[in-house]
Amino acid sequence: MKDTLHLMAVYTKTTAKAWFQYRVDAVLRSLAVFLREATGIIVIWFTLLKFDTLNGWDIYEMLFLFSLLFLTYGIMIIFFTGLRDFGKTVRDGSFDRFILRPRGLLFQIIFVNSDWFAAIGHGGLGLVLFLLSAGKVGIQWNFFNAIYYILTVAGGVLIQGAVFLLLAALNIYLLQTESLREMLYWNMRKFAGYPISIFNRFIQVIMIYVMPFAFVNYFPAQFLLRKSDMAEYPEIFMYLTPVIGVLMYLAAYLFWRFSMRFYKSSGN
Amino acid sequence: MTAYTAYAKKVFLGRSAYRFDHLMSILSTVLQFFIFYEIYRALYGGEDKVDGITMSMVTTNFVLSLGLGTIFSPDDYFLPNKIWDGSISTELLRPISFKGRMIAENVGNSAFNIIFKFIPVLIIAVLTTGVQAPADAPHFLLFLISAVLGYGVLWTISFAVQMTAFWLVNIWSLITIKNVFVNVLSGSMIPLWFMPEWMQGVLDLTPFASIYFTPVQIYLGQLSYGGIAVKCAIQIVWTVLIYLIGDLLWRKGQRKLVVQGG
Repeated sequence: MKDTLHLMAVYTKTTAKAWFQYRVDAVLRSLAVFLREATGIIVIWFTLLKFDTLNGWDIYEMLFLFSLLFLTYGIMIIFFTGLRDFGKTVRDGSFDRFILRPRGLLFQIIFVNSDWFAAIGHGGLGLVLFLLSAGKVGIQWNFFNAIYYILTVAGGVLIQGAVFLLLAALNIYLLQTESLREMLYWNMRKFAGYPISIFNRFIQVIMIYVMPFAFVNYFPAQFLLRKSDMAEYPEIFMYLTPVIGVLMYLAAYLFWRFSMRFYKSSGN
Repeated sequence: MTAYTAYAKKVFLGRSAYRFDHLMSILSTVLQFFIFYEIYRALYGGEDKVDGITMSMVTTNFVLSLGLGTIFSPDDYFLPNKIWDGSISTELLRPISFKGRMIAENVGNSAFNIIFKFIPVLIIAVLTTGVQAPADAPHFLLFLISAVLGYGVLWTISFAVQMTAFWLVNIWSLITIKNVFVNVLSGSMIPLWFMPEWMQGVLDLTPFASIYFTPVQIYLGQLSYGGIAVKCAIQIVWTVLIYLIGDLLWRKGQRKLVVQGG
């Protein structure tokens, strides 16, 4: 155990050093990710200067909704960069090296690389949005709500982590899953910044049951904000995020373990 | 001239090879359009007009600006890629203009996009949401001219930013930040009618509204013929001005050029 922790620390230090080797470039890249991700928020801010509310949500409530999405992604990508880039690892054969090492595969993939620019860009944006909005949306930050918030962020991280793990495992069969991720994950994520109640039924079903972004930010935000559009959904949805996170991650992990048996090296 | 046509054709045919990528990019544009459409439907909440702007004008704004966006899409990494892999050194030895080739390849790309991206997106949008018809035939013609001028503005912005690649090894950040400005201020994500008044003043000092919003306004018949002449003149002035800046960087950059290997 002590050995494992030591290894985690060494890996984290090395990746951070590698990513921040060129300081000015690192700052600029993180800033660029931050601004690129903030585009949709800047737009909604300008829009609500004119229209005041979007289906009953004012600008601070919208910022709070966005903050959960970015915070969970920022945390997730620190751990799951290796799974995001897993297709490349399989294609160029460097996955074989992992297999030869005396440590768990998933452990190595998780800790040998972290996209720190994405982590700072997304996570930093999430944090800024949280600080801007948390005091202005009428949430009582008591002990119970704080625990709920922590659990729900962890659940959101696991939900998205499970999707990345699932797609990584599919690489064993397909070799190329970037387009699939683009379609399933990134396209659906575009909807996730907004209250899902404004979208048509079909999109809502996808957001709840297929690619459950609604549980990453919409339902948790509803628990804390209690907007009137929650009446359209079962109340229990507000409590399910951590459960769904754990279940999805477990399912993805089992699929990953199962898939590993079929791994054939592409190298020579 | 035939050399440039050949380059344009090469890109057109090259693009046809990646069908799946292509479908994904249509899907992505359509989804983006639906998100904006649903947001504005919720914002309008059954009202006919906000500040004299109807919902169908908003829809038309999004279809046209996102649609034109799929056509224009200048290759921001045309020069940077050639500097990174060192092929710029052989490019410069060729007996044709590098900038001419840059334009030719972009035009080839745009021609492909008109047929295989813009038209599908337009058909889907018309069938599902309804887009206004152009104000009348002369306005439609002027819209086409203004759209070409808007392309000029967007292309020269990309051209000028790319030229900084001679000095900065990694211009991914700069290009990304440029695209943030284009996306927010050009009207493709928020119709510029709804920008606050102080922001309108800022927009007047920047080239971004010339890219999509001027053609959209002409299409909808919001401008008088005098107004159209002024706005188109502004588009031309921006294109020339930004091109001159880019060209200055281009000439200085060639003297500065350091090729790493190649």
